[in-house]
Amino acid sequence: MKTLSSVRRAPLSFAAIVTVLACLFPVYWMVTTAFKPTREIQSKVPQLLPSTWTFDHFVTAIGSDGFGLFWRNSILVTVSAVVLALVVALGAAFAVARMQWRGRRQFILMVFIAQMAPWESLIIPIYIITRDTNMLDRLPTLTLVYFMITLPFTIVVLRGFIATIPPELEEAAQVDGCSRTGAFRRVAFPLLAPGLMATSLFGFITAWNEFAYANFLIIKEQDNRTLPVWLSSFQNVFGTDWGATMAASTLFALPALAIFLLLQRHVTSGFAAGAVKG
Amino acid sequence: MRTRLIAGASALALAATLSACSSGNAEAGGTTTIDVWLMRDSVSEEFQAEFEKSFEAEHPDIDAKIQIQEWDGIGEKVVAALASNDPPDVIEIGNSQMSQYAASGGLLDVSDKVDDLGGEDWIAGLADPAVWDGKTYGVPYYAANRVVIYNTALFDAAGIDAESIDTRAKWIDATSTLNSGDVQGIYLPGQSWHALAGFIWDEGGAFATQDDGSWMGALDTPEAMAGMEFYSQLQALGHGPKDSDVASPPQTDIMAGGDVAQIISSPGAAGSVVAANPELEGKLGFFPIPGKTADKPGAVYVGGSELAIPAASDSSDAAYEFVKALTGEKWQRELASTMGYVPNKASLADAVADDPGAAAMTVGGTENGHSTPIAPGWAAVEAQNIIHDYMTAVLTGGDLAGEAQKASDEITRAMNQSD
Amino acid sequence: MTIVQKRTPVRAAVKPPGSTPTMTGSSPRRARLPRTRRNLWPYALIAPAVVGTAFLLVYPLVRAFVISLQDYKLAELINGNAEFVGLENYRTLFSDGRFWEVVARTFLFMACNVVLIMILSTLVAMMITRLKKFGRTMVLSSLVLAWAMPVIAAATVFQWMFNSEFGVVNWMLTSFGFEQFDRFPWFAHGAAAFVILILLVVWQSVPFAAITLYSALTTVPVELHESARLDGAGAWRLFRSVTFPIIRPIFMLVVCLEVIWTFKAFVQIWVITQGGPGDATTLLPVYAVQRALSSQQYDLGAAASIVTVLILSGVLVLYFRQMFRQEVQQ
Repeated sequence: MKTLSSVRRAPLSFAAIVTVLACLFPVYWMVTTAFKPTREIQSKVPQLLPSTWTFDHFVTAIGSDGFGLFWRNSILVTVSAVVLALVVALGAAFAVARMQWRGRRQFILMVFIAQMAPWESLIIPIYIITRDTNMLDRLPTLTLVYFMITLPFTIVVLRGFIATIPPELEEAAQVDGCSRTGAFRRVAFPLLAPGLMATSLFGFITAWNEFAYANFLIIKEQDNRTLPVWLSSFQNVFGTDWGATMAASTLFALPALAIFLLLQRHVTSGFAAGAVKG
Repeated sequence: MRTRLIAGASALALAATLSACSSGNAEAGGTTTIDVWLMRDSVSEEFQAEFEKSFEAEHPDIDAKIQIQEWDGIGEKVVAALASNDPPDVIEIGNSQMSQYAASGGLLDVSDKVDDLGGEDWIAGLADPAVWDGKTYGVPYYAANRVVIYNTALFDAAGIDAESIDTRAKWIDATSTLNSGDVQGIYLPGQSWHALAGFIWDEGGAFATQDDGSWMGALDTPEAMAGMEFYSQLQALGHGPKDSDVASPPQTDIMAGGDVAQIISSPGAAGSVVAANPELEGKLGFFPIPGKTADKPGAVYVGGSELAIPAASDSSDAAYEFVKALTGEKWQRELASTMGYVPNKASLADAVADDPGAAAMTVGGTENGHSTPIAPGWAAVEAQNIIHDYMTAVLTGGDLAGEAQKASDEITRAMNQSD
Repeated sequence: MTIVQKRTPVRAAVKPPGSTPTMTGSSPRRARLPRTRRNLWPYALIAPAVVGTAFLLVYPLVRAFVISLQDYKLAELINGNAEFVGLENYRTLFSDGRFWEVVARTFLFMACNVVLIMILSTLVAMMITRLKKFGRTMVLSSLVLAWAMPVIAAATVFQWMFNSEFGVVNWMLTSFGFEQFDRFPWFAHGAAAFVILILLVVWQSVPFAAITLYSALTTVPVELHESARLDGAGAWRLFRSVTFPIIRPIFMLVVCLEVIWTFKAFVQIWVITQGGPGDATTLLPVYAVQRALSSQQYDLGAAASIVTVLILSGVLVLYFRQMFRQEVQQ
């Protein structure tokens, strides 16, 4: 293939460029709009780049009520949900990938069915249960819901990762006198680390984005709201101040974009390899 | 009362390990904390601060925490609050959404307090929706209705005297004259359904009519369609986007640009226009929306809010004190003069007499005020944007009769599905 | 000759078709410890997952099912004391012509999305295998960025791009000479809004599918291509008879995942159109939420979501068969 001349590669390069543009344009448009002065946003002829860069919209967004607090809430809820899901899923995935036991097939079936759960329609029952257990208005409630939303997929992906680690390594360690858990912890776990990170991304994105539960289960304690709810109310307060809205969206998307880019290698190689198992 | 299952203790235990940060009504040192939900734009920040200070001075045992809620998605929020064990103690509810909550059993019955609050004098558009089955569940808070806000400089330049516009025909003539060059005769977005409501009522139509207890959409009557036709005619005399409402983009921002001769809004919007463009200070005038003939102003939708106390509130006495203060004469006068709203009692109408905007508003509101159907099902019509969609469909070239028929059917369906 | 020699180590490294790394699971039999020893361990390990699922998913589902058998409106949500009405809600639902329209529309939406996603992502994946290192990194990075874009942010950006007044899309179309798109109100036209939502979902879904398929394609031995090409196979035949059979299991699994995900698409629609204009973008999940949250018919909403689960399970029988075939292979 390396012998292809550049002429013959032209359609290929063109396709690649189109793909890159198609993927990036919305992201690009969000970021540049956020930096444009308002009069330029509302001009008949959109500019590809802001003629003058302004941080005004970011100032508006950050300066709005409670931005820092909601940011912290979101991080708190998201990270604890992801960590909880990882810990629980690791055990389950290990049992499924490495052990033979009665009920294994049924368990796998359960995990797959759980993946189809219609979460939007479960809001009312979950609201009722939450109310009856006096858990309304609390961030841990959100953490639990997000944990459950991400758990099935996490199990499926981790199982794929564990399966790619040769069990011989652990067996060797066991022969050397490690306990089974010790062998797993010292040998398999380090190999799994990238997989764990990649898996957590999925959970992170899901929990970071969640709006409906955050809006319905956090009622009175406005200090417990999360970023997606803030983003939606932000759009209300500022009407169609598209600049500020795009700045808010940028700030909201930033953590996810940054983490994905940082872990890009694991995402594209490891994650895909594991995820496919699902 | 409530049949509630106690869900698994394990779920609790699981949650408890996650460090619960609970909160509730702190009642330290004999102070009762009440949570109050007011809607966006219901009070200004200064008004809120002033009221809170004075209220807490008079009631040292009550600590009122006021939270401002957004209108968007408020229905779900109020439902979630009313059904919870620890709801806010006072909630502001829009009058068009009031009856469903009054009917739900989630609000405290305040019938025995009506006399204490001077309820015989409440304006009807606010008092009626709060009554369900003979009992009162809400206290009228304020009302507002739409007027025409106009740019005096543009009117002068076109040689038009706003005072003389007292019929629809004259209004259309004047607006056509104004609508030339860069100037928009009127900025009327396609989905301003409260404005449409007035035009429909002027023709003698309605959104829905009641027959034997069940509601029927009525947009397909000749009267209602004539109202829509007038809306289209007026809407075409400017560049209002056909697919959005007054909030997106905010019509006050558009008017602040200086090229818009008129908008239809409650007079309070003039303040936002001036805030966005201080050069327009003193250059905005008001007149009531013209009717079909000169002897009667155009019909207007009387919007407004009630204050209600959730039945599950654990501090309903303190909550009542709050409601009583905010809906009492002193603060109603203050609210009317600072926010430009119509106060909750007809006898307080003099509070806004000096304000040209409020005066224009009072003409329409008192002489030809209407309300949307008082029925629990109406909220669903608003929530599903049925009228918004109908208006956009007609304005973008849809067949009037066909679209009206379709929208009427949808209104019928929406209003009868949730009783 | 030299080429083949150079490739030999590669051949050794490549696993035989059918046991791609993604498929293997733990293929060696000796991986299993004897069943008799420590047979409580697996149960202890899955216990938290099972308990969590029981309380946070199964129990709410059961509650949803119970609600669907009751007369459950706003008053019942607030005061409790709901009455059982048997299958009345399901009867109401099934006799509502609008409900069946929604079901049909959901299938249409899913089909359009899945077909587009699979075609585009297969093409992109094949393109990536042919790119040099720089191009590959660029394409993969941008795929990842699109993938990482939070749904709400993406939906907001799409709204802005298709804004009738200042949207970049209308501007582009108008400047290409399509004057009819001047101030074209996209979200006011049912079909246009539907198409935009498909575009958005496809845009968000292609990265995962493409990256996954790409990693599957990397397991296809190059020699197979070479020899087939020597036999005079065209590009299409090459794909159909060499490449596709190898990535087929993964391809099918991606199809199934996309079916689940697009069938459940909700947030995008709710943020952008809330199911409007009219009913044009009302799909099953939106319908259920409209019933429950906007009309306060929690009973009908619950019935609609139970039906959604059943329909989805029906569609995915295929998925489970595929999965179990894999389990058997292990």
